[in-house]
This record gives sequence, structure tokens and C-alpha cells, in this order.
Amino acid sequence: MDNNNVLTGVSVAAEKKPRGLKRFFKLLYQQRALVLMSVPFVIWLFIFRYLPIWGWTIGFQNFKPAKSFWEQEWVGFYHFEFLFGDERFLRVLRNTLVMSTINLVLGFVTAITLALLLNEVRHLVFKRVVQTVSYLPHFLSWVVAAGIIRVTLAPDGIINELLMRLHLIDEELLFLGIGEWFWGIYGASIVWKDVGWNTIVYLAAITMIDPTLYEAAEIDGAGRFRKIWHITLPGIRPVITVLLIMNIGYLLESGFEPQYLLGNGMNMDYSENLDIFVLKYGINQFNYSLSVAASIFKTVVSFILLFAANNLAKRMGETRLY
Amino acid sequence: MTFSLVGKQSAGRGIILKVLTIHPELKGVQKKVSKKRWLASTLSLIMVLALVLTACSGKKEAGNSNSGASGSSPTSNSSDSGGDSGGAAQDKVTFTMFVAVQGEKDVNTNETVIGKKLEEQTGVNFKIEHLVGDLQTKIGTMIASNDYPDVLVPDDGIENVIEAGGFIDLTPYIDNDKYPNIKKVYGPYKNLMKWDDGKIYIFPFSTVVGEFVPDPNIGQGAFWVQRRVLEWAGYPKIKTVDEYFKVLEDFINAHPDEDLIGFVTLTDDWRFFATTNVPNHLAGYPNDGEVMVDMQTHEAKIYAGTEWEYRWFKKLNEINAKGMFDKQSFVDNYDQYIAKLTSHKVLGFFDYGWQVGTANNALRDAALADPSLDGYRYFPLPVVFDENIKDQYLDPPGYVANRGFGITSSAKDPERIIAFIDTLLSEENQILVKWGIEGETYLRDENGRMYRTKEMVDKMTQKFNEDYGFTVFDWDWPHYGTNSTLSDGNAASPGLQPEVFQMTLTDADKKILSAYGVQTYAEMFADPDERPWYPAWGFAKDEPRQLFEQQKSDLQRNHIPKLVLSKPEEFDKAWDEYTKALGKLDVQGYEQWFTQKVKEVVANAQK
Repeated sequence: MDNNNVLTGVSVAAEKKPRGLKRFFKLLYQQRALVLMSVPFVIWLFIFRYLPIWGWTIGFQNFKPAKSFWEQEWVGFYHFEFLFGDERFLRVLRNTLVMSTINLVLGFVTAITLALLLNEVRHLVFKRVVQTVSYLPHFLSWVVAAGIIRVTLAPDGIINELLMRLHLIDEELLFLGIGEWFWGIYGASIVWKDVGWNTIVYLAAITMIDPTLYEAAEIDGAGRFRKIWHITLPGIRPVITVLLIMNIGYLLESGFEPQYLLGNGMNMDYSENLDIFVLKYGINQFNYSLSVAASIFKTVVSFILLFAANNLAKRMGETRLY
Repeated sequence: MTFSLVGKQSAGRGIILKVLTIHPELKGVQKKVSKKRWLASTLSLIMVLALVLTACSGKKEAGNSNSGASGSSPTSNSSDSGGDSGGAAQDKVTFTMFVAVQGEKDVNTNETVIGKKLEEQTGVNFKIEHLVGDLQTKIGTMIASNDYPDVLVPDDGIENVIEAGGFIDLTPYIDNDKYPNIKKVYGPYKNLMKWDDGKIYIFPFSTVVGEFVPDPNIGQGAFWVQRRVLEWAGYPKIKTVDEYFKVLEDFINAHPDEDLIGFVTLTDDWRFFATTNVPNHLAGYPNDGEVMVDMQTHEAKIYAGTEWEYRWFKKLNEINAKGMFDKQSFVDNYDQYIAKLTSHKVLGFFDYGWQVGTANNALRDAALADPSLDGYRYFPLPVVFDENIKDQYLDPPGYVANRGFGITSSAKDPERIIAFIDTLLSEENQILVKWGIEGETYLRDENGRMYRTKEMVDKMTQKFNEDYGFTVFDWDWPHYGTNSTLSDGNAASPGLQPEVFQMTLTDADKKILSAYGVQTYAEMFADPDERPWYPAWGFAKDEPRQLFEQQKSDLQRNHIPKLVLSKPEEFDKAWDEYTKALGKLDVQGYEQWFTQKVKEVVANAQK
């Protein structure tokens, strides 16, 4: 809001060039309104985002609730060793990475495609209907969604019925009982549930594109596909890149609810991810230290991924996070 | 926890903002201002202050409401509580109670008929809250904040609350002549009630007073079969697992058009033990959890991976090959399972009576409305592997150590709560909470036997029981255990009184029971042998044991479907893989730990 002031402040500073602390305080005074306005948020950030990092100490203790910090037993990297030493951990990590990659790739491709297609639709009522229908499942709770998926895929469910009628299979399939298929079912489910919702941000970005560009392209004789390829897609590229970078930071978060609700003993080799592992062996056993150790691991990996992706974007000359 | 499950959405929103701010048109807005600067900074200051204030006042309010609920009474009467002036003379007081069980209503005890009577006697009211959501989270929060309700029934979380010092030591109150009723109920059990550190933290629920009365219904494990199957087969005697499946198979073959399911099993989440416990029962052992305990040597051995388990899953594998097993059992959740049992299509299953109560009640209600549907109800059978095995499905008089009612370290006035419990445990009050009020919910005949009329039974619906307080006081309090008798020989629990049980039987019930020459369902089963350690699953387990159980159950979840669904010729290969994986776990440590515990309990009981 105080743009004027900031600009003058900077120019004044440039003229006189006072040094060190004096300059700092002068600037601080000149921009006091801005500083004051940002203070609440800095405090908020500090309390809710930085103070909890103190809790990481739990990962190096044999943490018992209700004991004070000084009474806790320190065990060093014991919980990390347990985590990485468990043969299931590798499998769980694999499942997490595979499923979030599926989530990432499918999520981007389908959402962008649908957004482009919707953008081309000229019939307004049809466009609205498709949009609404496609993003409605997003508002379903995963509990309900998982119920629908279970019923659909049950041996007497509609999918089996259909395949039987078409004589594609001789015997009903137990979809959720075939471990190898879980990733596919997961991918299809999240696309069904979230594709509409994910298009919103792209549709918003598309509306920002200057319409004169399209007109110019038309005069140059560009067809629909040319326009999509040379105008629409480059137009939303910054949004795509930034979203991609941020999502890469979440690679170790493959979600929890769908795997937990659709998982069972028969597909657990493929459905169990890091969060479920932590729930079972950490929280459910009141082993908070293990949970914290896993979460430290996740944070560190996410941090590295985020920086790597951002760095890559920087080198390629793309828009980036910072 | 620092896991953010909704991170992605919020990231998306951030981007929209970013796109908007970059856009050039919006910049024009920013050009006025300057005079409003001070307004802005004051506003931001206010925001900071507000933030700090709410953070502080939040704490204050919580403190206030805590003491507000009970008024000033605890301080005023804690001085005279030593005198135990007893009863209504004291100020009224409300204590808070948390019960870590889902699905029951939160209530003030004095809003119920029974609770009102108790308040008249003691001046004590309890505000009961039940678990919503996850047990571990709720109990964990209490432990971490060291802030408990006055009274806590932590269900599965009991070890953790005790470890964190959340419960006060009850030892001085158990064998104390000042509390004759507590002494009467818990005195005989005081050695069993001791925790590892020699202190007593909870009032358990399963202490039997007086003679042991068996339950005429089957609340525990059994092989269930549709009644129409038995009727069709002419009520044959079914003892072995082979006979059981033979009848099911014959029935299916005789009714090829009905699309019947021979056998289902329950695998959902923690209820998975309904699948894994079966070999233990078939071998003639009661539900001691993961182990079988030898009657002579008191050695505890796990039955996973043994010959017994091999036989059971081999059998299921065979049944599956015949197309009688419901494959979907391994992916269904509990609701789907219950729905299947009420669909009339399932002929048989193994489960515990309390776990299929909803299904059995629904089928019973349907049969009451239309007696022709009675054939779809289920009848419990004590099935075992071989003719010469004695079934042990019925619970022996047992003692569950790791479930109970404790007074927490945050309790405002423990003495008063103890005094209330002592009053509650008097025989007349136990009659009040279990039978109700004479003339309203029970009558006595000329011999002093207590009974209920048909009208009484009919009016006692769920709603009535809630308003009256039966559902409130039925379990989560120190009480006479279910199988207790009153001093005049009546059963303490109405459901166990033969007169009441007979009243609840329908004509069809009587027909099938008499076809087998018995009066009650329990008579179908062998009497339980005495096992002082029973149930071993009720021992408070340490961390390595809890970890073992989690690992074992995960492993079984993965392997059992393979065992059952594999082709019969591949069964042995699947079995080898399973036992090999099982062998990697600390089976020996688990068995040793249990053997030692069992021996301790046996030694304690003989003291």
C-alpha cells in the first residue's frame, strides 16, 4: 500500500548512502507502517512454523509424554536406525514415491488438458455443466469416495458386471485384492476426484492471456491447435512451472486417506505409504519419537527436492519460486 | 504432528494470489494512502495485541471452566471428607468423566432415573464424555498436557496413562474397612489388580461377586450357522470342522439357484483377530489372545505358524477351491461384513457374539415381525478339529487386567469419588443399576426370585434404557462383574437370570433349542475349565510385545489371503513363505514374556 513511500525511501538512501546500522534504522523508520503491518504475520509464522521445529528433539529421545524435557531419555539416532533398518521401510518409501509421481504426472496432464479443452468450448451452458460436474467429486470426503470406489469395484459391482457382459473376463475380479493394480486404481481415483478442481487455477491463468494475441494469431492464419500450442500453453507456463516446483516439494506426501481407506491386507505391499507406516508403528504404538524421526526425514527430503527443482527452473530461465 | 495432508490445496491458492498481484491493472489502487498510514499501523498493533491476548485468555478460560463446573464445593468439603459424613448432607458436586469408547451419548448422570437416585444418596453427579475420533490422539493429548478429567476409562490406552503417572494409587482404598463395599468386591482381587510396580491404579470391570453364573447367550466365539441349514439337515449333531462344512456344502448343492455364500470371515482393521483366532478355538482353547496356554506347564505358545493354523487355512483353502468361500472377505470392511450377514445369503461364519450383535439383533427383529424369516438367523455351534477335543469357547471366570476405571491425578477430590464408588457398590445400588426399580423394571415372586414381565421387556428399548440410565451404568463403572450373583441367589445381571432369558426366547428359539435338547445356547458348549490367568490378552503389554503384535498382524494380513486363495497345489509353498516370514519376528521373546506373566498370575492367585 505504501508504495510511494518505499520508492522515495530507497532513492533518498541512494543519494546519501549512510552506512551500517544507521542506514538500517533510518530505512526502518521510513518504512515503519510496512514493518508494523508485517509484524503480526512474522509473529504468526514464528509461532506456528518455527517454534514447532523445537519438537524435532523428540526424534532423538525415547520420548515419554508427561515427563519434562530434562527427564527424557536421549537415544541419538536410534529411531532413524530402526526406520532405515526395517525392510518394510524401503517398500513403503517406494510406494510413496511412485504414488506421488502418479499423482503429480496424472494430476498435471489431465488438469491442463481439461482446462485447454474447456477453454475451447464455445457453448457456455455445456462448459459450465462440464466444469461443475468435474469438480463436484472434489467436495466428497475420501471416506465417501472410497466407499463408492469399493462398491464399484466389488465382485458384484458395476465394473465387473460390465466386463462380464462384454465377455472380457470369465470370472469376477477382486480389483482391490490384486496388489499390482492398486497404483492404477489409485491414479484413476484421484483423477476422478480432483481433475475438475485442479483445472480452476489453469482456467484462471488462461483468462489472463491478452485476447489481442489470439486475434493477431488468427489474422496470421493460425488454427485452433496452433493457437493452443503457441499462445495458450506458453501463456500459462509460469503458473505450471511454479505449481510444479511446489508440488515436487510434496513428493513425499502421497496423501493418506485414499491409501488408508482402500488399502487392505492383500494390496498392502503396494498401498502402504510412509504416512500409514508412521501411523501404525509410531502413533498407534504411542511411539512419538519414531513419528517425529520419520517426519524429520520427510522434511529434509522435501527441502532438498524443492531447492533442486527451483534451481533447475532458474537454470532453464523459467519463472520460479524465489 | 508435522504432516500436512492438505498442503497442496493451500499451495494452489497462494499461486492465484501471486498471479493477481503481478497483474498491472491492480497497481493503481495503491496510489492514495499516506494519511491512513497511522490507521494501518495502529490496526496492525491491535492485531498483534489481540493475538497475544487470545493466546493468554484461552488458557485462563479453560482454567475457569474447569473450576466452574464443580463450583467451590471441592475446597469446602475436602476438609471434612476425612470424616466421611456420608450422603446427602454434602454439597452437590459434578465430576468429569471420560470414556474412551465411541458411539455412546454424552450425558450427565443425574439426568437419568438411576443417576438421580444416586445423586440423592451422595450428592455426586458425573458429566460423562465419550470418545470422538481416534483413541491414541485423544489419550495422547491428555497425557501430553497432563490435564485429565476427574475420572478416566481409557480402554486401550491404559498402559500409557499409567506410565505417564495419570492415575492415582488406589491401594489404600481397596482393603479398607472404611469402604466395606469396595472391600467386598475388590478385596479378593487385590493381588491381581497390582500393576508391575506393585500399585493399584484401576477398578477393573470383570470381578465376580458371589457364585459364578454362566451367560445363557453366546457373547463369545462360536461357529455360526443359519438356522434353516440345521432345520433342512434335520438338526444333526455337528462337532468337527469337517462336519460343519459338509452340512454347508450339502445345503448349497441342494439350493443351486440361490447364489449362496458358504463362509465369510472378518478382516477389517483391528477386528482382524476374528480371522486369526480361529485355529486356537478349533484346537479347544479359549480366547487367550495370540497364545495357547498349556493347562499343566503354563507354557504360553503362539499358535500362528503351528500345525493347528496349517489345518485351518488348509481347510479354508479347500473351501475356497470349492467356491464356497467369499473372496471378498479380505477386502470388505466391517460395515460390508455386517451387511452381508443380514443379506440372508451367508450360511456360516466364525465370530464373537458381541461383534456380530448388530447383525444378530437385526435378524432377530425381522424374525419377530415375520416368523417365517427365522431360518435366516444364526445359531452358535462349538466346532473343533477332532471328535476327541473338548471345546472351550465359553469364557472361564476370568479377570481382565488392562481395562478399567481410574481416578486421575487431576481429580479434584479423590476421597469423594471413592466414597461415591463405595455407595455405588452396595448391593441395593447394584440392583438399582442392573435391575432398576422394583415394580418398574423388575418384580419378585414369592420365592424372592427376580424377574421381568413381557411388558417390561418390551418397553425397555434403547431409548428407554438411555433415559433410565441402564446404558450409562451398564459397564464403565466399578460394578459387580457380569457373572456375579446377589446375596439372595439372584443373578446380578438380568440377562443372566434364567427367568428373564426364557422370557426373551421366541417359539422358534425354543424349537431349535429343544431339538438339541438344551435350555440355553450356552448349554450347547462345554463348561469352561478353570484358568486363573484367563484372559491372557488382558495382560498389560510392554512395548516390544505391542510391536510384535503389530508386526505379526501385518504379516498375517498379507499372507493369510494368499494361503486361502492360492490354488490347492500351491498351498504348501505359500505356507512355507508365511512361516519363514513369521520366523523372523521375535516369537521366542513373546512366548517367554507371556509364560512368565501367566506363571506370575497363577502364583498370585494361589496366594
